[in-house]
Amino acid sequence: MRKEPHRSIVERVATMLRLIPDVDQPESGDLGRVVPGTALTGYPPPERWDDWTEYEAEGWTRKEKRSYQIVPTICFNCEAACGLLAYVDKEGGGIRKFEGHPLHPGSRGRNCAKGPATINQIRDPERILYPMRRKGPRGGGEWERVSWDEALADIAARIRGAIVEGRNTEVMYHVGRPGFEHQHMERIFRAWGVDAHNSHTNVCSSSGRFGYQLWGGFDRPSPDYANARAIVLVSSHLESGHYFNPHAQRIIEGKMKGARLIVVDPRLSNTASLADYWLPARPGSEGALFLAMARVILDEGLYDADFLRDWTNWQRYLEELHPEKDPRSFMAFIQALGEDYAKYTLEYAEAETGVPAEKIMEVARVIGEAAPAVAAHNWRAAAAANLGGWQVSRTLMFLNVLTGSWGRKGGTSPNGWNKYLPHFWEEPEPQEAWSELTYPDEYPLAQYEMSFLLPHFLMEGRGRLEVYFSRVLNPVWTYPDGFSWVETLTREDYIGCHVALTPTWSETAYFADYVLPLGHGPERHDLMSQETHAGKWLSFRQPVLREAARRRGEKITHTYEVNPGEVWEDDEFWIELSWKIDPDGALGIRRHFESPYRPGERLTVDEYYRWIFENAVPGLPEQAAKEDLTPLDYMRKYAAFEVQSEVYERNARELSGKELEGARVEPDGTVTTQESRERGVIRANRQLPHVGVHVNGKAREGFPTLSGKLEVWSPTMAEWGWEEYATPGYIKSHVHPDNLEEGQLVLNATFRLPTLIHTRSGNSKWLNEISNKNPVWIHPKDADERGIHTGDLIRVVTEIGYSVNHAWVTEGISPGVIACSHHLGRWRRRQDRADRWSNSLVDIQREEHGWRLRQIEGPAPYESSDPDTSRIFWSDGGVHQNLTFPVHPDPVSGMHCWHQAVYVERARPEDRYGDVYVDTNKSKDVYRRWLSVTRPGPLENGLRRPEVFDRPYRPTRDSYFAKRG
Amino acid sequence: MTSYGFIIDNRKCIGCHACTVACKAEHDVPVGVNRTWVKYIEKGTFPDTERVFHVMRCNHCEDAPCVEACPVTALYVRDDGIVDFNWERCIGCNACVQACPYDALYTDPATNTTAKCNYCSHRVDVGLEPSCVNVCPEHAIISGDMDDPTTEISRLLAREKVTVRKQEKGTRPKLFYIDGDEAALTPDDAPPSSDYMWSYQARGVGRHAPGAHGRGNDVARGLVPLGRKGDAGVDSQRQPEGARRTYDEPSKGIAWGKEVPGYVWTKAIASGAAAIPFLLAGLGVVVAESALWVGAILGLVFMAATGGLLVLDLGRPDRFHYVLLRPQWRSWLVRGAYVITGFGGVLALWMLLEILGFTAATTVLAWPLVTLGLATAVYTAFLFAQAKGRDFWQSPALPLHMLVHAVVGGAAALYLASLFVGGLEPLREVLRWTLGAGVLGALVVMWAELGTRHPTRDAERVARMIYAGRYRGLFWGVCVGLGSLIPLALVALGGPLAVSVAAVLALVGMLVTEHVWVEAPQLIPLA
Repeated sequence: MRKEPHRSIVERVATMLRLIPDVDQPESGDLGRVVPGTALTGYPPPERWDDWTEYEAEGWTRKEKRSYQIVPTICFNCEAACGLLAYVDKEGGGIRKFEGHPLHPGSRGRNCAKGPATINQIRDPERILYPMRRKGPRGGGEWERVSWDEALADIAARIRGAIVEGRNTEVMYHVGRPGFEHQHMERIFRAWGVDAHNSHTNVCSSSGRFGYQLWGGFDRPSPDYANARAIVLVSSHLESGHYFNPHAQRIIEGKMKGARLIVVDPRLSNTASLADYWLPARPGSEGALFLAMARVILDEGLYDADFLRDWTNWQRYLEELHPEKDPRSFMAFIQALGEDYAKYTLEYAEAETGVPAEKIMEVARVIGEAAPAVAAHNWRAAAAANLGGWQVSRTLMFLNVLTGSWGRKGGTSPNGWNKYLPHFWEEPEPQEAWSELTYPDEYPLAQYEMSFLLPHFLMEGRGRLEVYFSRVLNPVWTYPDGFSWVETLTREDYIGCHVALTPTWSETAYFADYVLPLGHGPERHDLMSQETHAGKWLSFRQPVLREAARRRGEKITHTYEVNPGEVWEDDEFWIELSWKIDPDGALGIRRHFESPYRPGERLTVDEYYRWIFENAVPGLPEQAAKEDLTPLDYMRKYAAFEVQSEVYERNARELSGKELEGARVEPDGTVTTQESRERGVIRANRQLPHVGVHVNGKAREGFPTLSGKLEVWSPTMAEWGWEEYATPGYIKSHVHPDNLEEGQLVLNATFRLPTLIHTRSGNSKWLNEISNKNPVWIHPKDADERGIHTGDLIRVVTEIGYSVNHAWVTEGISPGVIACSHHLGRWRRRQDRADRWSNSLVDIQREEHGWRLRQIEGPAPYESSDPDTSRIFWSDGGVHQNLTFPVHPDPVSGMHCWHQAVYVERARPEDRYGDVYVDTNKSKDVYRRWLSVTRPGPLENGLRRPEVFDRPYRPTRDSYFAKRG
Repeated sequence: MTSYGFIIDNRKCIGCHACTVACKAEHDVPVGVNRTWVKYIEKGTFPDTERVFHVMRCNHCEDAPCVEACPVTALYVRDDGIVDFNWERCIGCNACVQACPYDALYTDPATNTTAKCNYCSHRVDVGLEPSCVNVCPEHAIISGDMDDPTTEISRLLAREKVTVRKQEKGTRPKLFYIDGDEAALTPDDAPPSSDYMWSYQARGVGRHAPGAHGRGNDVARGLVPLGRKGDAGVDSQRQPEGARRTYDEPSKGIAWGKEVPGYVWTKAIASGAAAIPFLLAGLGVVVAESALWVGAILGLVFMAATGGLLVLDLGRPDRFHYVLLRPQWRSWLVRGAYVITGFGGVLALWMLLEILGFTAATTVLAWPLVTLGLATAVYTAFLFAQAKGRDFWQSPALPLHMLVHAVVGGAAALYLASLFVGGLEPLREVLRWTLGAGVLGALVVMWAELGTRHPTRDAERVARMIYAGRYRGLFWGVCVGLGSLIPLALVALGGPLAVSVAAVLALVGMLVTEHVWVEAPQLIPLA
């Protein structure tokens, strides 16, 4: 085929005379096509991944050929764990680019913008390449390079000291985005005997989880979008969230097959704009909306009676709430539900939500008629934003339960069915310690650790920390009340040693003692499995340069040998640290970090994963054998394995004879064994008094709840002092109109952009050039009332301070609500180094009670090893609003309730763009106010927390009981 | 045959920008410029608000105006229908940027050459889909051979209603939209801004990026930054359905800057100053030898300036000779370059012959010189007309515009020269009335260009921008008043001083007119 046009005689003569260079490349030695004719395919075939040659795009049409080793790995930008293929240049040895991984069951070869942007993070000119130790005061910004040995020795000595002296709650590992690390780290900290885990979950998904957990034990939904007939989203899964790309694929797939898309959001998200029904319910009113829909479904007989009868604890509901009715009559239950939810009329819902009654009715019918193919999802969004937000996910799941769509094809399954977590060759005993800094008495039901209250707890003297690790976490920036974090992190009496494990600088790393560079996603090992669809898969994150070197026959024993600078990987760091804590094995720690293949020798990463793949992934060894590969080599080659597909209705699975050995059926229908009755059994990390439940004449798996069924009446809520919330209901949010002062608006501060991921994407130029500022969205009516136009500087005043930002007047937001995106407003002080794609230079002053942050300059071109830093064309890095938010711990779930009641006014003369002022004394007042409405544990018997609830890094059973003095 | 095309299926596009970034990764596209990007438009009133996403990029036109405009065959249509480019041939003249009605091309600030989506032809040649197709979470970008009826793209085209951008341009684009949105595909329905929902442009990109050809000094003109003044939101009330652009790629700024109006001006002076005395001589009027010399010298000096400006305007001045040595004959840049070279060459030849004492030089060369002078004056009109993206330059009056400006420039320069060269004194009256007629003619042509009915809305907008919009001060004050009416009055008044002042003012007016005529049409958004 002719590619370039003919050249004129003039040119041919001029070229011959060498007046001009010959820039037409000879077409000899063309590469073959991977598919015949003019057809096109997505990816090179896997059998050629180890030796793939293609034309280089840069400099095209030169037809320069480049050969690659294609190594699969897993994206680490969001939590979805999509597959990536790294193109490792055979000549240069570096990574040229990342593309999608066609054989990954979750992402199916496709990615969002953040996938290919991974290369920016690898090549980030400001990344941290060597371990650093602070000089001068903590937070002072002075650093010196230190050897890994020195750093590890110091940290290990501190941890050893804490363990030996019985200060087992003084080590804390605070993690933002974990991978399989979660299991891996549990094993490590159990080996150390410390209650170290602290997560980001209570500023993220706790309330969403809590509502789901109350129903069915499992605390997350796994919607089967692709097969749904109605999709209900209290989220923006077409642009963000768990799990953006895999879910967005399947939502649109379902929609193209005819599913109706229903989106509840006060803001016109990209997702809402694609909806068949956008329901901009007033923030916090979502529960009223869903209950009104539930009522329509009940009234119009659209519910699935069989499912409700078989799979809910309706008898208990009747016994507890309607003793006057026959507890064995299902129709009495339906009648009781009708009576109890009669107050949620369409008119009531319209008044609460602002959504017209007819529209609510129409959508309720769409949902009811789609039964049982109703895929619904609430992850953060309303659940994460409101006092009682857990009732939002709970009432949403109520719709699933009514339509019988929980666990069905096209419906919504519990996440545990679609996620695979392998085990290890030996598990250390659970730790005998209970950290009251993470699980304090005031929050016995807290879904996860009360991580965002840590500064307040430390300031109150509730404890101290010898070593505090932060990993993929930036609480100074991301958490509410960041200045309280600064006040705490700078106090050496609170925190003995802060170790920031991070590949890039962050606002939190500025306040560390050690900054230790651990690798980016493609520079380390990990396992990932997420509930992206009605299947179950396991994928292998691997350091791609190490794997490429191994395939070339090079002997690599540690990942840092191939990583840039002295960048380590997590797994090797923890093994090394564990050996340093217990060098001679006297503490009984070391043995857990010895090889399962070479007794007494140090565990290697290869052996660690080899054992898992050989022994703990059903079907993998057989699949590998088909290709004549060891399980480890199979995963090195493909990095993804589908464990199971088409997983539905696991609750109805009949228990095997082995499972039923010595079992009996209790009057409430649960199937128990002696062990389950006496000590309880752990299933899905929840302690249950039964092994299953008797339904339709058979013993079945059921759900991990006390009743084994979905709990329309929660015995746990009743037992722990919240009987009024034992059933799905509607709690008026802290930003409900009843709770707002005159003139206050509701600030939605958590929405995410499709291109960014918290502060983790600040090091990606291609993402930041697309999105670099976060003006405040405001409806024209609210703007007019305040004389505000797009572009005007405005003050957004919270309970503890204010920020100054630009206004963005838009019809894309509900009246009464303003919205300001997350991610943007990153900063560095003069003494700090940081990525500068979206980072403003600021001056921070501490005043008598408060803190003042002022931007000196926004992002600007500068010289670096990357010529693109000189091409930064934006100068607005956004405004750091989270500093101005006080903590709002939900008294039940422990979730930080993100919505803020704010005043919006035109900026004052002294205000400048990006200004932030916060009075941290007021932060303490707000904290105490929210603390005062808790109903603290423990129970009479000393129990700190319901054992039927999940608790990450579950300690021994004894530790569940507080010592009573 | 093979004909690769794209479908963007807006039923599925979620506006996630994955295509943008995957393309950046594949081609290592510098920050600030894009081969593909996603435009966001918002419409409607709460709660009936809507946001639509449109992937924008090269349309791989069957009749690609960029290919016709490219002087050095850097851009070309492959036999499989892909519009590809060879950056090593590119001289950075931006003719293609002006020719493309879709704003698909940009200047790579690293090489100062032009680039755009090339359908990942390096991948297609080994049988792989373009990167954007691969990455798209929704499979909303469909590529394939439209001449093969079995491909997905052919089947979709047969089944679904599709739209293209600016069909009226006759470019026969091969990028089709399912559920294409009128407001999103019509650039003017929601004008660009430097500020969007989550992005902001403070500095130039591409050609105007720091360190690139434009030296970073041309921040996207015509855009109102948020937080300074103006209101990006207010205008939306006047747009169809209240449409408002809420995300777009950064403005690439003006492709043809100061050098282009500069050389149009010097070229008018050069061609006019040389053509007038030789025309008189050719007509048999007795013209002093010194007058001819003045015309020739003015012609050569201003041609040299023209050449200098032409080269300076190139992104790759080091490749200026490619225009002559790698000619693409349909390009008016090439044709013009040969005309200019011929004109300069004949002028130089005349001088040489004169010096050598060949008395017949004038007789032999007068008419060729006049003809080449005319061609030099007028060809630019055809060069501008080749800029298919710029409706205003499609005016049939543009060749006349160039011609009358050559008359004004020549007459004015010669009149001023007559103050110093005695041989020109006898021609003063002729020059005076030529100048007067030229200025009057220019006024009439300007009226024709601005005041007559415009075939397109974009041309109409430019005209309004000139006489009633942002250029109205310059236009009425300088182009019309200072540069035309006052000179006319002074010409009528007569006398060396008055006419000399008229000449200077007419020259100033002409320079400002060229500036306005070149810049204003470039402020019309194409995407």
